[in-house]
Amino acid sequence: MTQPQPRIRRSFGDLSERALAFWLLVPAALLLGLVALYPVGRLLYTSLFLRRLTDETGNNPVFVGFQNFAQAFSDERFWTALWNTLLIVLVTVPGALVVGLLLALLANLPFRVKWPIRLGLLLPWALPLVFAGLIFRWFFDSQYGVVNDVIVRLGGERLLWVTTPELLFWAICFSIIWKSSSFVALILLAGLQVIPKELYESAAVDGANRWQSFWRITLPLLLPAILVAAIFRTITAFQTFDIPFAMQNGGSAFETLAMYVRTMSIENLNFGYGSALAVLMFLISFAVTLVYLRYVRGADD
Amino acid sequence: MKKLFWLLVVVLVASMALAQQTRLRVFVGGQQRPDVMRKIFDLYQSRTPGVRVDVEVGGATSDQQQQYLTTVLASRDPSIDVILIDVIRPAQYLASRWADTIDKYLPAASRQALLRQYLPAYSQANVINGQLVALPGFADAMFLYYRADLLEKYGLKPPTTWDEAIQQAQTILQREGNPNLNGIGFIGAPAEGAVCTFLLPVWAAGGDVTNAQGQFSLTVEQAQRALQFWVGLMDQKVSPPNMAEKPQDTIRQEMQAGRWVFGTMFAYAWNRFQNDADSQVKGKIGVVPLPAFAGGRQASCLGGWQWVVSDFSRNKAQAHKLVRFLSSPEVSKILAIEASNLPVFPSLYRDPDILRVNPWFGQALPVVQAARARPQHPRYAEISEAIRVTTNQVLARQKTPEQGAREIVTRLQAIYGGR
Repeated sequence: MTQPQPRIRRSFGDLSERALAFWLLVPAALLLGLVALYPVGRLLYTSLFLRRLTDETGNNPVFVGFQNFAQAFSDERFWTALWNTLLIVLVTVPGALVVGLLLALLANLPFRVKWPIRLGLLLPWALPLVFAGLIFRWFFDSQYGVVNDVIVRLGGERLLWVTTPELLFWAICFSIIWKSSSFVALILLAGLQVIPKELYESAAVDGANRWQSFWRITLPLLLPAILVAAIFRTITAFQTFDIPFAMQNGGSAFETLAMYVRTMSIENLNFGYGSALAVLMFLISFAVTLVYLRYVRGADD
Repeated sequence: MKKLFWLLVVVLVASMALAQQTRLRVFVGGQQRPDVMRKIFDLYQSRTPGVRVDVEVGGATSDQQQQYLTTVLASRDPSIDVILIDVIRPAQYLASRWADTIDKYLPAASRQALLRQYLPAYSQANVINGQLVALPGFADAMFLYYRADLLEKYGLKPPTTWDEAIQQAQTILQREGNPNLNGIGFIGAPAEGAVCTFLLPVWAAGGDVTNAQGQFSLTVEQAQRALQFWVGLMDQKVSPPNMAEKPQDTIRQEMQAGRWVFGTMFAYAWNRFQNDADSQVKGKIGVVPLPAFAGGRQASCLGGWQWVVSDFSRNKAQAHKLVRFLSSPEVSKILAIEASNLPVFPSLYRDPDILRVNPWFGQALPVVQAARARPQHPRYAEISEAIRVTTNQVLARQKTPEQGAREIVTRLQAIYGGR
């Protein structure tokens, strides 16, 4: 018990605890800088230049200040894409929460064999987004799709899901909700499992029915988990790309912000303007993340 | 000690031999028959000791391939030496400085002699601002494929005008009474092929995107008539209402399953109809030039693939030698026989070995010679998007032909105006 401190210090050389912490954090900080800070910084930098790979500005970018941003604000296609993205957020986030909650409640029921439901929960989540998009593209195909097949069997008319804008929007939302509600369900399931069983038992003793105990116990205690799921889902909903992209065969009748950024940079090779659009998208994601961080800090208090 | 010395000598000799071997990496798309390309590279390797050619296979469509190549080339990645690019891309490769132009390795006199051997359309497509950007690998154009058995059954001859084609399709559909059979198939999905769909009637009516001086010249009226023509096919029930969903290869697959009377497609379809194991139309398909419009002329859309040397290659001299081989008559003939790729040399269209495998190549030469090229522009990607997405929206009846025409003309005007 006599002076254990110096012995530990000696085994790490001359480093103080602070210095040791510093050196241990350096690799992680470097990695973070390399994969997060540098690209974002570079993006901000490029967004201030006129840079098209299709002309001489590709090799000699011209500094234009905030002109790209001014162009974005007067670009009708940008506002349409922003509006479409907002619609996706407004429909698919609540949609995924409701479906996810139902799935989580189902998975939390005391079934004897639990794995089929849990597997069903995990599969959509494990599937790459673009595959989900391609699968649903076939489901909604007017000629070969299962959706129209069901409609025709029920005596309805074939609908042109993929090429009619209003129908396409709902087909996209349906696919996104299917894909993302399992993520929500996983978070909520974890939340459900930490609710103490005694609460339900004492509620039952007091004569509460199932509906009342759901409303008075489950929902309030699940609220933190629901909020976390909602915020994560909102951030990814703002970045929606894969599913609407894969469902349209390269078309852009329904274009989200991320799709517009890709078309402008990767296809049109207009890196300056594309970067400015990406910066605007980044700012939106950043704002949502700030809300999340604030909420997490609030929960700690 | 002695053993160690000899080991060192062996390692040294081996590494020198390895260093002498040049490795070239060639990029080809998934639909450009990488299996046949491999055979051609093997032939080249056997004749050129010290050179090894690796194949990298990319996406299936022209757009998918270019998206990948853009990331590789924009980051100045030296790993790819030679690339097979679509006929619409040389202008972009020159403007972006992705191509090591062929001129550097060719004296002006022999350049003239070389270019004179090719079909004129391909010499033109590869010379941008006086610089020779790439050399042609194989030709392509759109043709009208028809069900020879069905036409014969009703005593019909292959159509030479669209009106005839529409009437024949209506007759056959009515008499066959088969709900799975459709009339005239064309590319309606918003992929690159839809640019050709839009331009075919424009060209046939004597119009084009630019005039001879390269200035923008498309009028709203020309564009509107072109869009109206394809919408009209759906109105007349010779094409089903879901044409906006159909890319070229879907039409090809459906025609292969016996579901179309007519189909407008590029040359690759023939080989699939004749040779695919699941083809239900083997020996039942005929090919003719695309029909003409009443009072107009016949027009086809020029396709084809070009060999370009990457400006970031570390073995440019060797890569150029390979490209000269790949754009030679010998390789053109192999591609014609093994992959039904149309030759880029006019003389090969009379080659008996090629005609034995592809009897219709005799008729194909005038079509390729008369085929029109899509606009050449460094910002072709934007031109393509404006045309194919809007054409698709008109076919999906999200926009009227008039609205679509106005949108296409306005957007193209902005691109040609440098905005």
